[in-house]
Amino acid sequence: MEPAKMASPKSGPKDALVMAQILKDMGITDYEPKVINQMLEFAFRYVTTILDDAKIYSSHAKKATVDADDVRLAIQCRSDQSFTSPPPRDFLLDIARQKNQTPLPLIKPYSGLRLPPDRYCLTAPNYRLKPLPKKGPAAAGRITVPRLSVGAVSSRPSTPTLGTPSAQSVAVSTKVGAPVSVPGQRFTVQIPPSQSAAAKPAVPAAPAVQNVLINPSLIGPKNILITTNVVSQNTPVESPNALKRKHEDDDDYDNL
Amino acid sequence: ILDLYEFCSISFPLKYFFFLFAVGVVAVEDQPDVSAVLSAYNQQGDPAMYEEYYSGLKHFIECSLDCHRAELSQLFYPLFVHMYLELVYNQHENEAKSFFEKFHGDQECYYQDDLRVLSSLTKKEHMKGNETMLDFRTSKFVLRISRDSYQLLKRHLQEKQNNQIWNIVQEHLYIDIFDGMPRSKQQIDAMVGSLAGEAKREANKAKVFFGLLKEPEIEVPLDDEDEEGENEEGKPKKKKPKKDSMGSKSKKQDPNAPPQNRIPLPELKDSDKLDKIMNMKETTKRVRLGPDCLPSICFYTFLNAYQGLTAVDVTDDSSLIAGGFADSTVRVWSVTPKKLRSVKTATDLSLIDKESDDVLERIMDEKTASELKILYGHSGPVYGASFSPDRNYLLSSSEDGTVRLWSLQTFTCLVGYKGHNYPVWDTQFSPYGYYFVSGGHDRVARLWATDHYQPLRIFAGHLADVNCTRFHPNSNYVATGSADRTVRLWDVLNGNCVRIFTGHKGPIHSLAFSPNGRFLATGATDGRVLLWDIGHGLMVGELKGHTDTVCSLKFSRDGEILASGSMDNTVRLWDAIKAFEDLETDDFTTATGHINLPENSQDLLLGTYMTKSTPVVHLHFTRRNLVLAAGAYSPQ
Repeated sequence: MEPAKMASPKSGPKDALVMAQILKDMGITDYEPKVINQMLEFAFRYVTTILDDAKIYSSHAKKATVDADDVRLAIQCRSDQSFTSPPPRDFLLDIARQKNQTPLPLIKPYSGLRLPPDRYCLTAPNYRLKPLPKKGPAAAGRITVPRLSVGAVSSRPSTPTLGTPSAQSVAVSTKVGAPVSVPGQRFTVQIPPSQSAAAKPAVPAAPAVQNVLINPSLIGPKNILITTNVVSQNTPVESPNALKRKHEDDDDYDNL
Repeated sequence: ILDLYEFCSISFPLKYFFFLFAVGVVAVEDQPDVSAVLSAYNQQGDPAMYEEYYSGLKHFIECSLDCHRAELSQLFYPLFVHMYLELVYNQHENEAKSFFEKFHGDQECYYQDDLRVLSSLTKKEHMKGNETMLDFRTSKFVLRISRDSYQLLKRHLQEKQNNQIWNIVQEHLYIDIFDGMPRSKQQIDAMVGSLAGEAKREANKAKVFFGLLKEPEIEVPLDDEDEEGENEEGKPKKKKPKKDSMGSKSKKQDPNAPPQNRIPLPELKDSDKLDKIMNMKETTKRVRLGPDCLPSICFYTFLNAYQGLTAVDVTDDSSLIAGGFADSTVRVWSVTPKKLRSVKTATDLSLIDKESDDVLERIMDEKTASELKILYGHSGPVYGASFSPDRNYLLSSSEDGTVRLWSLQTFTCLVGYKGHNYPVWDTQFSPYGYYFVSGGHDRVARLWATDHYQPLRIFAGHLADVNCTRFHPNSNYVATGSADRTVRLWDVLNGNCVRIFTGHKGPIHSLAFSPNGRFLATGATDGRVLLWDIGHGLMVGELKGHTDTVCSLKFSRDGEILASGSMDNTVRLWDAIKAFEDLETDDFTTATGHINLPENSQDLLLGTYMTKSTPVVHLHFTRRNLVLAAGAYSPQ
């Protein structure tokens, strides 16, 4: 939309003329015509919200009618909610004084990627794969449960647990590109014995994993549990950014 | 702030009780500080008499001697605003309105924007949400007046009938007295204009280390490339820096440079050393600019952006351009024929041969290589963008209150730094990486490090939004330009404000440090570019020519040319060497900060280059002194 010079409607509704006059008084001369509609909608929505709130307060106080006090209270509460303003100056000066007193932290040399602790980063995978229900008791060879649980950095003991016992377990340490590598992190992947021909644990283009539950809400510093249940192949790990951590068993999540 | 004994002196006990009641109600919802601060507006006499007081003062000043009149006229604006706000706060709406009507036309033209905001503040409730007006109220407006003029004023105001004005003056104004000749109107007009008045002389007295840090020793592989550019590499360091060494220019410790370890800086990695060597090689091929050798300008126009382009940055080696847009995306383009590649997925990475020599090439994914990568993540328009010096990261700051760190190896978001809860208008990486600064609507600038999720320093002091934040080349200082029309220089080490520069008549939108670290150029909505000497804390130049906001400023690589880009669709080149030579810094100037600026804008202007209705949002000098400019085509 191209900006147009102020076009005051010659014969528009009175509200629109008033709004145009308000804009002019505030010194705004260059705006698109739709701005007046937008402002009118906002004004309507604001007033109705306030009046609705005032009605609620007035009925709560068991008054017969809505009076000025109710409206005043409604405005105050709504302004604290929606129209917050930045902190006042003395508060800012105070926290600035506190923050500025601590000396600048020394920088550790040779630390590669300098990022905050993982829970404050957005680098964790934001999904988990729901395991398939078991089809039969003889699971060997068909259904494997390589389980990768990624937990927050906490001091719980990290014990890799494997759903179905298997002869092989391969520890893999994966480096994902120079800048993203976090040295020393590993995960344990279990490979079903029948697939042991593939010594390398990760094989691309795995066939469809069924019953994948994607949990997109787990972004950010939370416990993220990934359990993968691959029908026939090894585990595809999708996210190139996944930081592999010592995984831990968390029985709060779906059991396999 | 809340002077109880002053309250008791009010003649209306009813008003006192009403006020306490009001404070009691209000303080429940608001922060107690706000209401305490507001309550400092105690009654200074009869509201109906305010017009008389003001007229009386006006008459006195207009009848005073010419030499004093200019200085005393500085009183009009702060007194007008404070008296008006007092009337509004004490709910004398009609008196306030008539007071405003009568006197707002007398104010200087450059205060018109403030007056417009004031005219919409007619009730006490309006004042609550306006943090800038509250800050204005609680901070003292600084006026610099010569001793003679001050004596004159004091004598007049202390006569009995003018006592009220004297009270207001004492309460809300800070008069910085200097000995010497009263200033002329022209001198005053150059320095006033900010919301806080001028800067007290002692605010600009602290020592500032404006020198550059020493370049580290790097062993350049001895090939045919000459090393005349910098002396220290290639030659083994035989002498200690403090001792005088023969021949080598840069071994002496610059007294104006900060000690190397004043603030912790990241060490140089091997890739950084390689970058530096590349930089030095490019330096030898750099074009020497001057009035007779102007740079060529290459303009990158963003088409079809529909006025959505809100931020641009270019890497130091001019290989990547990033654009921040109003649709909350950040787009990265490759300027060179080399495409943007991201690192392969983990599954692919495990297949490559890790022992091969070109493993760094093999980890890159050719299949998804493209010229453009789009980064999604913000939830509001992106107002600031900054590449890291090592080209591994990109920062973007947005209206959603966060600053995001993106990896340029994987083109994904790594961290979101939450601290400002209000739009963040600008962000910049430090010249050495690791630190970055951001400034926003909450009137503070914050210093962060990439590995801390909370800011390391908070630079608080501005009265209005911080629009622009820039690091000094030695990374020890941060300059912030604000909507309160001042520019402040902050020390990274302890967060103190070491310089306050006033003089702009509009919000400041662009800052640039000269490469030698001694000077600062600032551009604002008034279309002027002001030049400041950081060491002395003085204004040393004024470049007039632009007719609209100056939104981008850049010095050439060796500091010979200053390029300015503006919303009036032009790029102007100015002669920086000439602007900074012949500075008179005698004792009087240094003591009082008064400098007579010559009207030499026309001499300094080297060229004006018009675009076809494209405001110039960003300027960049390549390592060989070619100018790159960027903007979005916005047809009228």
